[in-house]
Amino acid sequence: MIYYIYDGSFEGLLTAIYEAFYHDVKPDMILKRSDYQENLFAERVEIVTERNKSDRVYNAVREKISSRSLRKIYYAFLSEIKGVETRIYHYLQLGFKIGRKIDGHLTDDTVLELNRISNKVGLERHRLLGLIRFRRLDNDIYYAPIEPDYNIIALLAPHFSKRLADQNWVIHDLKRKVAAVYNREEWVLTGFSGQPGSYAEDEAIYQSLWKDFFKNIAITNRKNSRLQLQFMPVRYWKHLIEKETT
Amino acid sequence: MELREKLKILSGAAKYDASCSSSGSNRKNTPGGIGNGASSGICHSWSDDGRCISLLKILFTNYCIYDCAYCINRVSNDLPRASFTPEEVIKLTINFYRRNYIEGLFLSSAVIKSPDYTMELLLKTVRKLREEYKFNGYIHLKAIPGADFSLIARAGRYADRMSVNIELPSKKSLSLLAPQKKMESILTPMKEIGLNIKENREERKKSKNLPRFVPAGQSTQLIIGASPETDYHILKLCEALYQRFNLKRVYYSAYIPVSNNPSLPQLRRPPLLREHRLYQADWLLRFYGFAADELLDRANPNFNPKLDPKANWALNHLHLFPLEVNRADYEMLLRVPGIGIKSARRIVSARRTGSIDFDDLEKFGTVLKRARYFITCKGKYYGGIPFREELIKERLVEGKTGLHRQQLSLFDDNSISDIDGFLSETVGGKEG
Ligand code: SF4
Repeated sequence: MIYYIYDGSFEGLLTAIYEAFYHDVKPDMILKRSDYQENLFAERVEIVTERNKSDRVYNAVREKISSRSLRKIYYAFLSEIKGVETRIYHYLQLGFKIGRKIDGHLTDDTVLELNRISNKVGLERHRLLGLIRFRRLDNDIYYAPIEPDYNIIALLAPHFSKRLADQNWVIHDLKRKVAAVYNREEWVLTGFSGQPGSYAEDEAIYQSLWKDFFKNIAITNRKNSRLQLQFMPVRYWKHLIEKETT
Repeated sequence: MELREKLKILSGAAKYDASCSSSGSNRKNTPGGIGNGASSGICHSWSDDGRCISLLKILFTNYCIYDCAYCINRVSNDLPRASFTPEEVIKLTINFYRRNYIEGLFLSSAVIKSPDYTMELLLKTVRKLREEYKFNGYIHLKAIPGADFSLIARAGRYADRMSVNIELPSKKSLSLLAPQKKMESILTPMKEIGLNIKENREERKKSKNLPRFVPAGQSTQLIIGASPETDYHILKLCEALYQRFNLKRVYYSAYIPVSNNPSLPQLRRPPLLREHRLYQADWLLRFYGFAADELLDRANPNFNPKLDPKANWALNHLHLFPLEVNRADYEMLLRVPGIGIKSARRIVSARRTGSIDFDDLEKFGTVLKRARYFITCKGKYYGGIPFREELIKERLVEGKTGLHRQQLSLFDDNSISDIDGFLSETVGGKEG
């Protein structure tokens, strides 16, 4: 078995794919360094991330396949699902062979699987665009903790930088210990495992107003918890003000 | 009165409006402003009744001079009353928006003093919100029937969506249950708003920086089950509204008993199943190329509670089936029970690269449970039973759980349209 080992970044993965196309020794698996376990039968090829190589793959996917495919592999990559890198590699092998037509290949398992994974990531992004809750801190920063299944923080930040452009905010992925920090001009991604400061004075008021609204807007004769659960799975409740159990 | 008390009263009074959609507007943020539109709409929460919460849905006031029998706010009803000030509405909207609780504001109102007076208050609020507070999030605004149209037209420049609720589907029921309202005073502003939307679209083609007028379109609501109209009557009305007034959406709201008035039915439960069937039929009108007269007629004026309208239609037209999926055209594929727009498109697209097997259909997400009785794949029929009406019908009748399961997806299609929006965003091309 030949393993390509990369640093875990998207550029790293694209570099690995570049090497896979130009190298004689083709990978059976592409793995993050952190996912690799010592294995006697493995032949490992260490991939050194190189921007010019990853850029070439990036542009080639966009031009020779489609920007839709580029987005698909990026979303799939963010799923962090085990083995997804190898799937992306196989998908691109097919893509470079048949080009833009790949999207119509709906009966092909590689294409189907990649669609499925990237759709799941896209769905979680879309859900969280609505389900994120900011809390106003006393230094006038709006702070939102999240724990998404997939690594979607970089897919959320651009939305809020347009929408909440005139306020300072932080989106904090507690699971992955990273934060998107916005200062009314631009947002950056940074490692962060700290705690937020204390709440602004009016925060408690708006939280209880929101909870009241949430309760009052439901029509009791139509109660339907199953439906509520389906759209708003319990795993997201932890950071939802209206579902807090205090 | 405290803000908290007002919000309780005026959100509780607004909950019977079924609409909470925030789709259809891509309004951009302005320099130094707050908010923007997301054309696909975004749900921010789901309340205990399973409905999507997207907008801060409130009445400006629940003081009303009218006495509509089906409405909790009628003047003869004894209940706590309150009115917001424009500033209070603005404060709530902005503070909820900054915390990402909501996509925007849905402001409606009972009629305080006079229709003009009420409409002026609504206009004042949205104008201030847009111009002074630079709010660019979504605004759905009610137009008050009977108000001077110049007020409504001015408000439409600030709103993304406007609506006038018809509530009762016929003149007769309206004069019985809402004697102070006239069908004309409801339909006239709808027609005018529709014309203004159309005109604005035309003019914006010529000069791009003209302000938009109600870019997310117009909607209305009908109460189901408070009056004796048949499904056929209601569906014909809706078809006319879509065609003639260019409406974006009609919402159906199962009547919830709020009064002992002898002219109103005493229901034990709101007719949710009937509401659901109407939503299904509404989809067939808007997206599947059906006409109201194909689905119901004078002899059969109501939907079968046990069959969805499409299955019902297919069973009545068995001579058109089974359909060969490798050859049937797109329009006919859409008419197969269990095949939605997404599956139909996938079938047509996949056919270009080779012929389709029965197994492939499953991969496209086609619900074969129902579709299998109406199709063949490469000439083979997979229904597993003889192709006979009674036998197929038996398999299509919905048990209680099945109904329940489906109800969720359609009874307010926000969730659906939002998922579609997300699909078209991520995968490109409108699904739906
Ligand atoms: S005018 Fe509107 S708020 Fe007033 S009673 Fe009639 S339906 Fe209710």
